[in-house]
Amino acid sequence: MDSIEKQQHKREAQRRLRAQRQRAGQLRGRVVAISLLAFALLWGVVFVQMATGNDPVLGNSPSTAAVASHRGEPARRNRAGATEAEAIEPEAVEPEVEVEPVEAELIEAEAAEAEAIEAEAEAFEAEPAPVTTSQS
Amino acid sequence: MSAEVHRSFDCFGGTASVHVRAASIEEGERAVVQARSHLLEAHRRLSRFRGDSELTRLNLDPRREVPATPLMRRLAAAVVVAGSRSGGLVDATLLAGIVRAGYRHSFDDQTPLALSEVLSGFSERAPGRPSSARRWRAISVDDEAGTVTRPPGVMIDSGGIGKGLLADLVAAILRDHPTYAVDCCGDISIGGSAGRERTVLVDDPFGGDPVHELSLSRGAVATSGIGRRCWPGPDGRPAHHILDPRTGRPAFTGIVQASAVAPSALLAEVYAKAALLSGPEHAAERLPHGGVLVDDSGEVEVIAAARPLSEALVRS
Repeated sequence: MDSIEKQQHKREAQRRLRAQRQRAGQLRGRVVAISLLAFALLWGVVFVQMATGNDPVLGNSPSTAAVASHRGEPARRNRAGATEAEAIEPEAVEPEVEVEPVEAELIEAEAAEAEAIEAEAEAFEAEPAPVTTSQS
Repeated sequence: MSAEVHRSFDCFGGTASVHVRAASIEEGERAVVQARSHLLEAHRRLSRFRGDSELTRLNLDPRREVPATPLMRRLAAAVVVAGSRSGGLVDATLLAGIVRAGYRHSFDDQTPLALSEVLSGFSERAPGRPSSARRWRAISVDDEAGTVTRPPGVMIDSGGIGKGLLADLVAAILRDHPTYAVDCCGDISIGGSAGRERTVLVDDPFGGDPVHELSLSRGAVATSGIGRRCWPGPDGRPAHHILDPRTGRPAFTGIVQASAVAPSALLAEVYAKAALLSGPEHAAERLPHGGVLVDDSGEVEVIAAARPLSEALVRS
């Protein structure tokens, strides 16, 4: 191989290398762009969902329903109330349907706790039962 | 803190009750059940009406020194304490006299004579006096050897002393609970870590409303009287179970019921019985921590404490 032929091969190799680097750079750029886009898109969805009050964690999950039914009357009343509201104006009331039972449960839990404390205080306040001494 | 758990049951020829407030209802119930079984077991072992009781076996044992369980030894020691603290007025070795007077079996299933009927059989009041024999002095206890020593034939009557003793023993088991009361047919031990006051109603011997209300956070109350166990005696006259140690006959001192406050139920029983036997003139002297006296006319006298119970509790 003469020197001219060698230089041509060298230039060809350099061109291929540049083209390869260019393709790699383009690919890297695309991956980064797609990742950023996907990230932004996901957060956008979450933001919209939260902003409209549809928090998936606080929604009608089975565990929440179980707690509500277990706690008894006040929770049942709330759920019944929500159902009535849905029947009248479903779209307007929908966010409240998700939020209200949770608040009610919190209030109910606080009330139960207060009741327990009150009962404990009453038990403490209560005089020990009187006893009668009589002839043995 | 939970509510107080209560349990009443037949024991010692009457009704015993246990009241416990614990950290939880369940714990209170466990404590009450445990206390109840202690009392019933003690009754089984110390009843003089049971042929198989340890007390009956001891009373009939011909030996001078008799092996005895810790409970029996505690009772024997309590008999000595009662005699010494009352100057011999409270004498638990008068069993033969009680049997002679007609108290041979438990009167659980019989309606006692009315107190007015009993009183109509007595005309003269006379304070009780100690027996010259003072047989209780001959009783001794050896905890190391695990024996009770007494002259053969000296018989112990568990009676009120046994009830007071048992109220104290069970109270010791319950002492860490916030509140408790152990009522052995009127001999009551009260206490608890919460230091709560408990009302103690003093029964009317004539059957009316309670004659007085006491309040205690810790200590004991006991009542002794002639109206609870009385029967027609062998001579036709009414008889009852509180004997004048000197005569060995049912005592009529003019006081029909005495209630005493004391640091322990055993001492309360001793003070109450000594007050009843001392008669109206000297009864108050027998109630150092206060009490209530009812005389044969139904008059109620409340005796103030000459010595604060709190001091006695600190010493005990």
